[in-house]
Amino acid sequence: MSPRHRTRRDWRRWNGIALTAATIVATVWLATTNQLLLYIHPRYIVFTVIMAAFGLVFLVASFVPRSRHGHDHDHETQDEASASSGLRRWITASATIVTAAIALALVIVPPATLTSATADQREINSTNVLDTPQSADAVAPAGASERFTVRDWASLLRQTSDPVFYSGKPADVVGFVTPDPDDPENVFYVSRFIITCCAVDAQPIGVPVYLPDWTSSFHKDDWVQVTGGFETNPSAASAQPIALVPTSTKTVQQPDEPYLY
Amino acid sequence: MAIETETRTGPPERSHTRVSPARAAWIGVGVVGLASLFLIRAITSKTGPWSLPNQLQDLLTLSISVIVESLPFVILGVLLSILVQVWLPDSWVMRALPRNPVLRRAAISFLGMFLPVCECGNVPLARGLLVKGFTVSESMTFLLAAPILNPITIITTHQAFGFDDGILVARLVGGFAIANILGWLFSRHPDQDSLLTSRFAAECRMPDRHEHGTSRLGSSIDLFTREAAVIMPALFIGSLLAGLVQVAVPRSVLIGLGSNPLWSVLVMMLLAFVISVCSNVDAFFILPFASTFLPGSIAAFLVFGPIIDIKMLSLMRTTFTTKTLVQLTVVVALLSALVGLVVNYVA
Repeated sequence: MSPRHRTRRDWRRWNGIALTAATIVATVWLATTNQLLLYIHPRYIVFTVIMAAFGLVFLVASFVPRSRHGHDHDHETQDEASASSGLRRWITASATIVTAAIALALVIVPPATLTSATADQREINSTNVLDTPQSADAVAPAGASERFTVRDWASLLRQTSDPVFYSGKPADVVGFVTPDPDDPENVFYVSRFIITCCAVDAQPIGVPVYLPDWTSSFHKDDWVQVTGGFETNPSAASAQPIALVPTSTKTVQQPDEPYLY
Repeated sequence: MAIETETRTGPPERSHTRVSPARAAWIGVGVVGLASLFLIRAITSKTGPWSLPNQLQDLLTLSISVIVESLPFVILGVLLSILVQVWLPDSWVMRALPRNPVLRRAAISFLGMFLPVCECGNVPLARGLLVKGFTVSESMTFLLAAPILNPITIITTHQAFGFDDGILVARLVGGFAIANILGWLFSRHPDQDSLLTSRFAAECRMPDRHEHGTSRLGSSIDLFTREAAVIMPALFIGSLLAGLVQVAVPRSVLIGLGSNPLWSVLVMMLLAFVISVCSNVDAFFILPFASTFLPGSIAAFLVFGPIIDIKMLSLMRTTFTTKTLVQLTVVVALLSALVGLVVNYVA
């Protein structure tokens, strides 16, 4: 076999090892720091960690150079022969750069949750995930409403917009700020993502909050804790009939489990 | 060829070598290398958050999410592929299968019941079966059927939908039918090897590995690195494309078309193509859409998605030629749409 061919094959092998190493190291590190749930549903964590452990063992073993026996007889195939054509070489080179960039990102970019950009793009409360039965219902005992999550409230708001229903039910919710597209100065959503499998399927939900001039104290994507009660939405521009009118709104740390399930 | 002769006459004792000092040193290098990667990861995480633009940050989060979600299934698939290629006796699987081609493919469609990996793990496994002696059309039947006809997918789909609206039945029957029809179609092709990329076809023609004096353990590790070298770049590219489309195409564009019997089917197939989630979990993903979309479109999503999506095309390109994949995509899309329409108009 030609030395050039051997170099190329060795290079491909080490490239594969590097990409696998980046992915497995990132995964295991995310698991140990309890951040894997930024990317996948908790029910897959155990499976993911077990498989990553297998991967680690194989990775370490794969550092041993291949014996001279076995399959040194990779063939110079037509694929590779034609790989010298300009376009193909260009595609291969750019694919390599892109994969290397992703591998680098896996290892050096700090993990993050999805932002309001995705909430906007997927439209808050646009899916029927809220129609599935929730713990929150109309006959919840007094005081229980303060433990309702953004999801519970969003689900209730979808069922009824009768202001009487909401009187005497104080709310205390945590979420990130996404401006209401209809009245961005006065209304924002306290929003969360609901995950069924992984971040790819995240569906944004939120509770509208009426707070005139909120932009002077908060920014888009800030995590906030809002307490208050639901009333008929004072904003004329917003499409939401009911809104949370806060008695207190404060910035908080992003929760350890930013997504809801 | 010269190298092979050399291999056969090579000193046999090499194959029995245990951990020599040189190997131990390399393993040490591996451990140190991985440890330093962990260290870099731990240190760089303290530098954040980086305040990247939201769109870029979400593109990254979505792509990484697809990679992290697929990784365990890919590893499981490679491990099973190693099991089939290196550890199982040659004729073990082959002998158990019927000889009649149609029955044989039908039996192969149910292999997924014993090898429960979802679609991304199935690619390395199907490659392993090809190397082991399956014909191209047989391994394609396996590749298409196994993500749907496997216990995990059946359980999750049943949990999500029960037997409502015939969705579960349509998924199983549709998946089986499509895999076998495609297997039959491609078995008519006069030159099966021409369906494969030339690099992979060459690998299939290679004589069996562990006859050459490498230990089974050595072969296993070799196979792991070679599959990783092929699958990981494809997974990365596929995940990035899936992430890009998610960031670029507003979800509302898709959802607006939900209640038309024809459009809903096409839109759901488009969604399945874009979203690229694994077949083991896609039932949970699609459940919230069930009340806006007609049952046929849900069935089409659940039949089409496990077979064809952005990530899968990228992975399958490691093995099949572009032309084969275009034909495959067109036929599978037509048949999935048919399944959806039948459920919409009949059920």
